[in-house]
Amino acid sequence: MAEALAEEKILSRYAVEIDGDCMPVTSPSGDRVYAKMQTWKMGVEGLKKTRTEKIKDGLLSDPISDVIRKLDQDTFSKASLNNRESSSHATQLTVPIASEQLWVEKYAPCSFTELLSDEQTNREVLFWLKQWDSCVFGSQFRATTDDVVSALRHHSSAVQHQKTSDRRSFSVKGITPFSSQYGKPLKALDRHSDKVSSFSELWSKKSLVDPPHEQKVLLLCGPPGLGKTTLAHVAAKHCGYQVIEINASDDRSSSTIESKILGVVQMNSVTVDSKPKCLVIDEIDGALGEGKGAVDVILKMVVSDKKNSGEKEGSCQKSLAEKNPSKKGHKFATLLRPVICICNDLYAPALRPLRQIARVHMFAQPTICRVVNRLKYICHKEGFKTNSIALAALVEYTECDIRSCLNTLQFLNKKKETLHMFDIGSQVVGRKDVSRSCVDIWKEVFQKRKPKREKRSANLLGGNEDLEHMYSLISSRGDYELTMDGIHENLLRLPYHDPMMQKTVRCLDMVAVSDLLHQYIMRTQQMSLYVYQPPVTISISRIVARVEKPNIEWPKSLQRARAMFMERKDILKLWQNKISPIILRHLTFQNFAEDFVSFFLHVLAPPTLRPVALHLLSERERDDLAKLVNTMVCYSVTYKNSKVEHLQGPQNHGATSDIPMLSLDPPIHIFVNFKDYQPVYLELSLAMKQVLVHEVEKKRILLKSLDRSLFASRYRKGSNIDSKIAQNIQKVATAGRDSRPFLFKYNEGFTNAVRRPVKIRELLL
Amino acid sequence: MLWVDKYRPRILDKMIVHEEVAQNLKKLVSEQDCPHLLFYGPPGSGKKTLIMALLKEMFGPAAEKVKLEQKAWKIDAGTRTIELELAMLASTHHVELNPSDAGFQDRYIVQEIIKEMAKNRPIDSKGKKGFKVLVLNEVDKLSKEAQHSLRRTMEKYSASCRLILCCSSSSRVTEAVRSRCLNIRVNAPSAEEIVKVLEFIAKKESIQLPPEFAARIAVQSCRSLRRAILSFETCRVQQYPFVMNQAIPPMDWEQYVSEIASDIMKEQSPKRLFQVRGKIYELLVNCIPPEIILKVKLLSELLKKLDAELKHEVCHWAAYYEHRMRLGQKAIFHIEAFIAKFMSIYKEFLIATFG
Repeated sequence: MAEALAEEKILSRYAVEIDGDCMPVTSPSGDRVYAKMQTWKMGVEGLKKTRTEKIKDGLLSDPISDVIRKLDQDTFSKASLNNRESSSHATQLTVPIASEQLWVEKYAPCSFTELLSDEQTNREVLFWLKQWDSCVFGSQFRATTDDVVSALRHHSSAVQHQKTSDRRSFSVKGITPFSSQYGKPLKALDRHSDKVSSFSELWSKKSLVDPPHEQKVLLLCGPPGLGKTTLAHVAAKHCGYQVIEINASDDRSSSTIESKILGVVQMNSVTVDSKPKCLVIDEIDGALGEGKGAVDVILKMVVSDKKNSGEKEGSCQKSLAEKNPSKKGHKFATLLRPVICICNDLYAPALRPLRQIARVHMFAQPTICRVVNRLKYICHKEGFKTNSIALAALVEYTECDIRSCLNTLQFLNKKKETLHMFDIGSQVVGRKDVSRSCVDIWKEVFQKRKPKREKRSANLLGGNEDLEHMYSLISSRGDYELTMDGIHENLLRLPYHDPMMQKTVRCLDMVAVSDLLHQYIMRTQQMSLYVYQPPVTISISRIVARVEKPNIEWPKSLQRARAMFMERKDILKLWQNKISPIILRHLTFQNFAEDFVSFFLHVLAPPTLRPVALHLLSERERDDLAKLVNTMVCYSVTYKNSKVEHLQGPQNHGATSDIPMLSLDPPIHIFVNFKDYQPVYLELSLAMKQVLVHEVEKKRILLKSLDRSLFASRYRKGSNIDSKIAQNIQKVATAGRDSRPFLFKYNEGFTNAVRRPVKIRELLL
Repeated sequence: MLWVDKYRPRILDKMIVHEEVAQNLKKLVSEQDCPHLLFYGPPGSGKKTLIMALLKEMFGPAAEKVKLEQKAWKIDAGTRTIELELAMLASTHHVELNPSDAGFQDRYIVQEIIKEMAKNRPIDSKGKKGFKVLVLNEVDKLSKEAQHSLRRTMEKYSASCRLILCCSSSSRVTEAVRSRCLNIRVNAPSAEEIVKVLEFIAKKESIQLPPEFAARIAVQSCRSLRRAILSFETCRVQQYPFVMNQAIPPMDWEQYVSEIASDIMKEQSPKRLFQVRGKIYELLVNCIPPEIILKVKLLSELLKKLDAELKHEVCHWAAYYEHRMRLGQKAIFHIEAFIAKFMSIYKEFLIATFG
């Protein structure tokens, strides 16, 4: 580390007078001197000494790089119409070392450039927010003016330069209180944010085009501690919004949240200078039952938005013309303000509908060196001695969770301990109980760790760290059944080498063991046996894991099979309710599928039937038809019009698909329609089916009327013998009726005797 | 109506296949009382037909007037209330139900519903039939807990209620329940008996049935009377008069399983196994029980094409995986494990023999 030491002989006003390396130093009053540079191995005493000396001399309170940054910022703020107050520098210089505050809050980034998260993500989020401008502020994106652009270019190049040269790149600017900007009128703020956002010229070009804003909701997801919430807040402030946050601690039942969201998203404040609001819903995946409320409300709004999007567009245009953005869109519950949702687990079931309509940004882990730089800066600020290797180890240990890193460091600082890299495992360092998503676990199972990393971790914590890691990963996730389903689903598609199928056998055996274990645990309720689940998974991983990245799919087939199974059962149940109990009793689901259905379909489609008029049929054919109709009525099967379904059979041409199809009414034929299988039974011709439908209907009406007349006659006569006679008579009558083609239905009991014309006058009297 | 249902004997005297059993039953109920009964036997052997005929023998034609009821029950189980819906066929004298439909909540069905029904003694006008009959189907699918609670019910309410249990395998009914019942084994009908039934039907329908053809149907039906009669009617619909070498249409799902078997024999690789998995899912979705797929059909199809020396080993593994399947929950895992095992064995064999 290079440190400028102020000593009488080394310090001079002219660079010529110093031999060796020198460095320009500017004091707060503007005096410029040159200082000799000397390299120091930082010891504990050395650091102390330099600090005390530094304070005593009062030459420099900040390292040189910070001073350069300040200068930079000066020019930058001048360029951006002096909207930064000069007092910012003063506050920056006199940072009180107050240890009462949590470091996490104290050093939270307040400006866009300070964010630790991935640059790409940051920009995209900002860009998304800027797309709202036309709707919220009623202004188009502006191309930045030349002087600003040049200033920006200078600024960004400086930043770029610092990034490479100075390790504490994003440190200084954040201390500038952002609140000083809040009082500015809306327009200036807008412009300001516009400038900042258009870091690159490409952006400003893009913004001129003003692309259609399709995804109205932004969904940020990623593991905890990467700065999702911070990004949302910072970006929203940057674009001139007032952030309204709803998080898990608030009441999130759907009724309260609806009014809240509507209030935020649709209303404008009465006061002129207030900023439009931006809704940030934090931890949206948190509570399943209640969190759904928020998701539902947002979904509703987005859907209604889509419905009258055309109308809205019009109103947008109008408001643009009037330059009055506050008067629009109150009629429909549409989304007029940006909504940012934040979650940890993208695949949480509650988020499924939201995922489809929202723009999703996954948070990647920032690079270790970036986090380490930031930590180092903070440690330095707080006067806490660390070295970068230990910090790097800490960062790796916490998986780049800067929040937990900071908390740990603060804790150690309080305890007056130093961070040693070898103690990280044993020290009180807060190791998170990270529960990863299932997809991550499957990836971990199917993919071998990179050998390099393995080696390093082996050096650190012994050889079976890999195993331990996997165990803790799987057990902290906990959902063993789903984990195993995923493994089962993806196992056979993996590219592992297995000519003799032995690996497959072993893996599938393991999967089966897991199933047995699960069932046993469920039956006996011995939850402690769950500890044996992760080893099963690990052993599978040992067998099949490859270095290549596996292509993992969500296990759907088992669920789908289950759902279809239930559906089929429901079809059967519905059907069974219609059949008379005498038949039904012998027709269980299993019997039906195993023995009954194939033959039944054959019986329903005799090949001898001809679709001709009834009187043209021979005696035997008529007999057959009668029998078939009888069977169909008994088992309450008929044909009905169905929407054109494209059978994949080769004999089905495109021409036939226009003709309405008749298919069996309880669709029992699907029970033999296996995939890649041509059922043996014969399909009747359409004409024949139509004849059958007609006949079945006729037969049904006949039977019904027979029933009714039987019933009536029994009650009229009261005696058994009479009813029998009546039945015989009825039979004769129906036979007679059969010969005539007309059926006449007479509605009894209708009378209009009580109806008479009444005049209003009569009612009034 | 199909012949299966049309020619189902309604009274014990008209039984063709299990005449002896029928006569014994008749004697049993002649004194207007009977013990608890447990009918067991393979599907399609005539258990339910016997039970219905027995009920008719006991209660006369009133037993035939049944109606289907969907009853919803609310059961108070300690801290929570469980709502169950169950379909049952009920006449004035008896109730038929399938308690295993309730899944893992079958215990409550047995404990509450059956108890409830058993308690209410029917009041007859003549005052002589002082008991009600409960017909429970598929008792072997009941959970252990349910069977245990059944045993108490059987003793406690035996004065007012008789239970007729019906299942396909008595080994899965607990010892305690079995010992409280009179066990009646209903054999699968032999081929000769099936032929006799077919001839009876042919006579009633006035159809010419060549005896060889009848024998062929009987053989192909795997000793299931239901299947035999159904396939007989199918043949009649397909082509009549019968010709000597008329094809008997196969069952669709069996055909599908044999396709799967030939798939397995053709190629042994994880990729092929993945295709096979899709097909097995298809079968399971269509209500074909996994045990039947594995044991009855897939194994026999595979054995057909195997060398004698492998048969023993394959059978062993089939039994092993079937056992695990019954212990486990997700049948697909175990069927697949069996297929993988088979593939491995078969491939090893192929390489050993052909190099």
